[in-house]
Amino acid sequence: MGRRAGVATLAILLPLVAGAAEHITPTVVLRKRADVIRSTLPDASQFFLKTVQIGRQDLSRIEQTADFKPEDSRVKFYYGQNGSGSLVGVVLFPQVNTQHGPFEVGLTLGPDGTIRDVAPTKATVETKPWVEKAVRTGFLDDFKGLSTGEMPDRALQALRSADIGDMPTFAGEELAEAVQHGLALYQVLYAGSRSGSAN
Amino acid sequence: MSGIYSLRDADRSVKLAAVLFMLVLGYAYIFAFFMVKQYAGLTPADVATTYVPRKVEASSLPQRSSSTTQALDLSTMKQEHHRVDTQLLIQDSHIHIMIYAMIAALQTLVILGLGWSAGFRDLVILLAFGSGALDFAGQWLMKGGIGGFAWLTIASGWLMTLVYVVVLIGTLRAVFGNNRKRDAAAGA
Repeated sequence: MGRRAGVATLAILLPLVAGAAEHITPTVVLRKRADVIRSTLPDASQFFLKTVQIGRQDLSRIEQTADFKPEDSRVKFYYGQNGSGSLVGVVLFPQVNTQHGPFEVGLTLGPDGTIRDVAPTKATVETKPWVEKAVRTGFLDDFKGLSTGEMPDRALQALRSADIGDMPTFAGEELAEAVQHGLALYQVLYAGSRSGSAN
Repeated sequence: MSGIYSLRDADRSVKLAAVLFMLVLGYAYIFAFFMVKQYAGLTPADVATTYVPRKVEASSLPQRSSSTTQALDLSTMKQEHHRVDTQLLIQDSHIHIMIYAMIAALQTLVILGLGWSAGFRDLVILLAFGSGALDFAGQWLMKGGIGGFAWLTIASGWLMTLVYVVVLIGTLRAVFGNNRKRDAAAGA
């Protein structure tokens, strides 16, 4: 093999494989955020993104409300308005991180602050089948109508009685925890801000 | 000069295995490149965004929350940047560091037959194992909040690539190189 062939090999391979290190476990997007927002707020004609930078007072309230500390100090709320400017609903994407990777849900709330829809949006290659198995039990439907402070007992009971195995049950419980976190974030940072907390 | 064996003089099956291992490894690296480009990015800033945590420490937060609102066009809405949290990095580390060690060990088996000088051979073996270790050292240092170590993770990627290309060229030269000069020298 001549020098020219060696140089050609270098020229072709170096740029291509330079990023081979820095190995990561990629997440699997189960549903795109835009699709969740569009499908769960069908009456909205215009959409907005509200980004809240958490302050110390609200961090304390979140910790008291849901016994968790957000991993990001900025929380995004996507909301839609109809043609007359009335609020149609709010969507946020709370995420719970575990040793098996992140579990993220798209949590849609109506103008009254009750849950309208829960849709898993992010998992990993490992956890995707667990999430799908948990979702097939239909337990996410039991979240609908709940608001902050209400425990999802019926949903968890439906999940645990479905006999789907340990890991799918674990995945379902993580989704339920993400919903609880989302409700707390909504209550403190979004609903609270409408009464003057965040500005 | 010689290693444990000579790949040049080895059985055809050994040469075949060595060449195919190196080529298929390169094949896998190409897709690894696309995966990293998609999920972590290739610039220090993107890599740091993937690993450096946004810590929520009460002491560093303002007293009151604040917010900004902007109109949103769903058709152009981008997906969030992929982030690797501590739990996921633990999982990544326990799998990938082991795989890196196995790949470095297999490359070493090839290196030992390439007829390189002992010093160069040891250097390449050291880099083969070290680049994988440095990759995750950089990721953990970033996870510790030191974003500047993105360069270490990126540099270790280049180092791993360099080792791969050097071993590939050495392998191809040993297997397909012109042996006539060497045979003539041996005969003279």
